[in-house]
Amino acid sequence: METGLRVLLLTAAVLLLPGCAVRNWIHHHNEVKAERKAAKEEEARAAQGQEDDTDTAPPRVIDPDVERRKINVPKIKSSNVELGLHYGALSVEDFGTNPVYGVSAAYHVTEDFFFLGEAGRSQAGRTSFETLGGNVQLLTGAERRFTYYNLALGYNFLPGEAFLGRGIAMPSAFYMLGGIGNVKFAGDDHFTVSFGAGYRVLPADWLAIHITVEDRVFKSDLLGVSKLTNNIEARIGTTVYF
Amino acid sequence: MLLVTLAAPTVGAAREYLQVFITQPYLELHTGPGRGYPVFNVVARQESVDVLYRRTDWFKVRTERGVEGWASQKDMLRTVLADGSPFTFDLGDRAGFTSHRFEMGIFAGNYGGATLISGYTSMSFNSQLAAELSVGQFLGKFSNGVTADLGLTHTIVPEWRLQPFLMLGTGLVHVTPKATLVAPTERTDQTAYVGGGVRYYLTRRFFLRGEYKSHEVFTKRNANQQVDEWKLGFAFFF
Repeated sequence: METGLRVLLLTAAVLLLPGCAVRNWIHHHNEVKAERKAAKEEEARAAQGQEDDTDTAPPRVIDPDVERRKINVPKIKSSNVELGLHYGALSVEDFGTNPVYGVSAAYHVTEDFFFLGEAGRSQAGRTSFETLGGNVQLLTGAERRFTYYNLALGYNFLPGEAFLGRGIAMPSAFYMLGGIGNVKFAGDDHFTVSFGAGYRVLPADWLAIHITVEDRVFKSDLLGVSKLTNNIEARIGTTVYF
Repeated sequence: MLLVTLAAPTVGAAREYLQVFITQPYLELHTGPGRGYPVFNVVARQESVDVLYRRTDWFKVRTERGVEGWASQKDMLRTVLADGSPFTFDLGDRAGFTSHRFEMGIFAGNYGGATLISGYTSMSFNSQLAAELSVGQFLGKFSNGVTADLGLTHTIVPEWRLQPFLMLGTGLVHVTPKATLVAPTERTDQTAYVGGGVRYYLTRRFFLRGEYKSHEVFTKRNANQQVDEWKLGFAFFF
């Protein structure tokens, strides 16, 4: 019984499949026919057009059969990235002024604006309280380490040229910075808002010298009361454009 | 045959720099890459310059006489290549906002109640789909920590000035409880997130971006933790 059913189904399938194929073939044949007809019509139209042309246009003396020169367009390099090192003095509020060093990376988006990322480190000194109090130690050595990073937006203004003697002129500009970041100090992380300004002069198109002053402001409750501390950094840096 | 092969490289040698020809009456060369720097030289019509490199919207060029200076994007748009076709390049305009290769930006926001500082970079596969890496640091009352997320963003209508997008991805979160708590232990957990946000084109290459991510933190405790992240930032494309 089962085999009979199978045979029946198979026969049906065998009969149906070519049926589909024939249907497809007929459809395809019609399509090809239509295409050919369209092509013929087009050819006829083109020929007619050409005849019209030959009637009106003057005969050509020279056939400009010149091959167009192919231009290989080389990729134009971009030089928007500025990487550098800086060194200066950082005044940590209540903890004296100490040397600071760091790195920076900038991306120049337009001639006016740039994004800046910077990170640096300093070692805070002793508060006056500690100095006067003799043996009092507010922080351990490791806790006195002041480490910061900052993500900022910069704006260039007052562009101009700086002259060195009679023969050398270097492009220069002032810039303003505003950003957010973190300061790790006294064993704690502090959300920090930074703002500052700087002056940049370019002895060569790939090299810049910076003088920057930046204030890093964060809330600290280290000395009993919670207060905003201003930590002013003045530094000199050198950067290279890539 | 030998001669031909020897001669071929010199004949077919490609120029190192792109040569463009001036079609306007003259091309102004500035001393620096900005409109504020003075013009110190001009290149006459029909003459050519080699394009050395580009910084923001300015091109460093060298004239046939060997003078190097900076030409503006606006002026360079009116130069042509040796075959007479116009010199085209990425303008960094609204069309670039719709379709670009890279994005970078910085954010401030809130991560589960803590203050968040974050940065991101993304690489687009097409105008709608991009892979994105973001890192952040959060500073809270009871704990601090860092996060890193890797995922995909899908921009729904790239042609709009205000572009809504969707996000999906995975990441890590490292939490350092504050020392004032009893027996604080640092921990690193894996996370997964879904989110959405909008980009709003400002001008040139800049846009604003605001987003929300819902993180599922796979903790080693009995229950997973859910953390909401909101942030708003400033970004650019290139």
